[in-house]
Amino acid sequence: MYKLILAFRYLYRRRISYLALGAVALCVFIVVVVMTVMRGLVGDFKEKNHSFTGDCVVGTESLVGFPYYKDFIEVLEKADFVEHVSPAINSYALVSAEGSQHSIGLEIIGIDAVRHSRVTGFGKMLRYHKDDAARAFEPRGDANLPGCVVGADLWLQRNSRGEYFYEPNPAATAMTVTCFPLTIKGALAKAGTDLVNTKTFYFSDTSESGLARVDSSVVYLPFEDVQALCGMKEPVARASWIHIKFKANVHLEEGCRKVRLLWAEFCEQMQDKPNAEALAGVSVQSWKEHRREFIAAMEKEQTMLTAMFGLVGLTTVFIVFVVFYMIVSHKTKDIGILKSVGASGVDVVAVFLGFAAMLGVAGSVAGVAAALWFLRDINALERWLFERFGFQLWDRTIYAIGEIPHRVDLTMVLVVMGCAVLACLAGAVLPSVRAAQNKPVEALQVSQL
Amino acid sequence: MLKIFLWLRYLGKRRVVLLSIAAVALSCALLIVVASLFNGFINAFERGAVDAVGDVVIAPPERIADYPELIRQLEGLHSVEAATATLSAQGLLHLGKGNVRAVEIWGIEVQKCGRVTAFERSLLKGQAQSRSQTDGRGIEAYVGIGVLAKPDDVTDEYDFNAVGQEVGREVVLTTGAAVGGKDGSQQFKRKSLRLVIADVVFSGVYYFDNRIVYLPIEQLREAVYPEASQPIAGQIQIKLKSGCDAEVALAEIRGVWEAFAEQRLGWEAYLIQGTKIETAIQMQARYVAEFRKQMGVLLLIFGVVSLSVVLLVFCIFYMIVERQRRDIAILKSCGAGSGAVALVFVGFGLFIGTLGTLLGAVLGYVVTKNINALEGWIRVIFGLKLWKASVYMFSKIPNEVDWRAAGWIALSAVAGAAIGALIPAISAAITRPVNVLRYE
Repeated sequence: MYKLILAFRYLYRRRISYLALGAVALCVFIVVVVMTVMRGLVGDFKEKNHSFTGDCVVGTESLVGFPYYKDFIEVLEKADFVEHVSPAINSYALVSAEGSQHSIGLEIIGIDAVRHSRVTGFGKMLRYHKDDAARAFEPRGDANLPGCVVGADLWLQRNSRGEYFYEPNPAATAMTVTCFPLTIKGALAKAGTDLVNTKTFYFSDTSESGLARVDSSVVYLPFEDVQALCGMKEPVARASWIHIKFKANVHLEEGCRKVRLLWAEFCEQMQDKPNAEALAGVSVQSWKEHRREFIAAMEKEQTMLTAMFGLVGLTTVFIVFVVFYMIVSHKTKDIGILKSVGASGVDVVAVFLGFAAMLGVAGSVAGVAAALWFLRDINALERWLFERFGFQLWDRTIYAIGEIPHRVDLTMVLVVMGCAVLACLAGAVLPSVRAAQNKPVEALQVSQL
Repeated sequence: MLKIFLWLRYLGKRRVVLLSIAAVALSCALLIVVASLFNGFINAFERGAVDAVGDVVIAPPERIADYPELIRQLEGLHSVEAATATLSAQGLLHLGKGNVRAVEIWGIEVQKCGRVTAFERSLLKGQAQSRSQTDGRGIEAYVGIGVLAKPDDVTDEYDFNAVGQEVGREVVLTTGAAVGGKDGSQQFKRKSLRLVIADVVFSGVYYFDNRIVYLPIEQLREAVYPEASQPIAGQIQIKLKSGCDAEVALAEIRGVWEAFAEQRLGWEAYLIQGTKIETAIQMQARYVAEFRKQMGVLLLIFGVVSLSVVLLVFCIFYMIVERQRRDIAILKSCGAGSGAVALVFVGFGLFIGTLGTLLGAVLGYVVTKNINALEGWIRVIFGLKLWKASVYMFSKIPNEVDWRAAGWIALSAVAGAAIGALIPAISAAITRPVNVLRYE
């Protein structure tokens, strides 16, 4: 009990310990704020990638695609762990909008809008036909015209709040799409003639995935049309990817493992069929693997920032060390008395480590409280700074970021608090050991009093 | 002299002082590295733009006919070293089996653009060898390295030998442009071209390396605008003479352009006024401002965290003062004034700050200069590739030390150490010898 009383008394009475408490609180505050914002950005980015991809994809990067995708979709649809499946074709096209003097090279994705929105968040990304994917490719004015859904950044400007300027009644602008049709061997299908296939589509909607690279470079078109444009209808129908959504209770890795088994089995069955060699380049990936190139970059930045703050946090250990060193120097008489009434060296160490732990807990609680208060109002603060001084943390016309993330992750907060307490204990170890080595006979001799 | 003697004595005897030196050095180094990397990145970003398009760009809303005459007039200006024309379009490049890429096509004056941009320096084989590769089999094309190959997943480096094998290969490019029909409507007309890869372009800037195919401007013009009876350009890129004032040069260039557009091209005033004449750096200003803001925010965060160094110095000096009360009392009893005593400790704070800052600056310099090697070690040891051109634009981490920022950081660090020492110094100054030195 006396250990607790002494530790509390030192914390309360020694004003110098407030400094250490302040340093711990400052570090915890900054780490919690930065990590919350960073984790929010990374988490949000991952979620958008998940929504864009679905749970799992089977397919190939090659623009040739792979055959027998319909047969494999049948296999998948019979599997008890699969909720929905959607085939897609990815290719590149030269797109020129009516009235524009220029054309632009873009990625085109051929999908069945209804099926695709069951697997991915496509339906929710639409502006004019939100959650009504069946009409995604219906241009305004004439629903019979072939429609196209254009990435929001290709079509619209963003304001300073990151919101797009939408027209309430967009015109069905004609867009000419030109592609290289490829044979199943990858050669030009129309060699010797015009080399390319062209078709005109009409603007029907925009898609806002929240992924800058997607929204600034992708045009969605009806699956059948893209298949024809890319020469993937004959001699055997091909697709680039099959997007899969697992049932709610299926774990991602387990689901992907099962799909891999099904795919291996399917390839074996198909090996004698014509053009079966095109199945060799097909892979089964979870959405995380499929979008790894993009997600990894952000995760690395998060890691780097954490490492840098870890380095800076070392200073807190130094401060705690110095403060404890001072306190121990001043408390030699207390320590001498304690030891003279029977306290062991371990008890003395326990007193000071208890004090360090209290300091760590108090500092981190103060830091977390300040961080929570700051994060609660961070967006209001940014809005105020923008209105008053024109300052924004991120220019929303450049970055595809909405609000500054401010949802605090309890686990992260507990880890940071734990690290702060550990840092305090680390800083207090040497002074505590030094205190424990004090000899009462030396500390209490008249010349020392 | 006594002060210096005391500083050295405290430094030698009180090992805890080394902690404050270490903390100042660590914070200083961290801030110098962060500021240098950010500024290096911004400089590289601006330099990349100048290397790609020259110092100044004339970008009119319509294509410029008879551009050789405009170039001749521009090159007659005192501030202009050289000027060249470009024409751009978009296209699809079929590189082989199943390999199609969306590309940007830049029509350039192959022989001349090297005087304005860094194009010639970016060629893998060099221009002398490049032209011989085509043998008249098709249009000579200079293709960005990232269009032809992907860098290694682990090292993020290209296999230059494999890429070199691509030179001389035939590829197909589909492009086109909107042309006016007889009824006045615009119609998109496409054209497929047979190209021969004359050379590979490796500028180190991801965007250009990954997306651009360079063709001779005249051949691109013939393909995309066959109806044009004279040379046409989309933009004019200009290299300024070294040391000339960019603002004066811009005014001169604008004068030449306005006269040319009005008299030679017969353009309306709105077209002339709608022409953007900017330096390459001005063109990037919006992004640079954003990068600088991000740097400011990061430095602010680290700066606030570094405030704890001031606390640390305070604690250490407080401890020293407490321990040295008797020394202080003896000094004062020998006639030293309170100001002199305070100066001993503030001076010691400055001394510690300067030592820490020097160490930090050296550490910051070493880390910044060797940042690419460090990044390589991290990759080898932890398997973590931190820097990728596809994410950060450049193939190498810019490693210039920003001495200006380093100077400010060093000054702040020294001032921070002195501030940390101030209260303990005052506490020392108000020590009363009679209280400290009395027998009981």
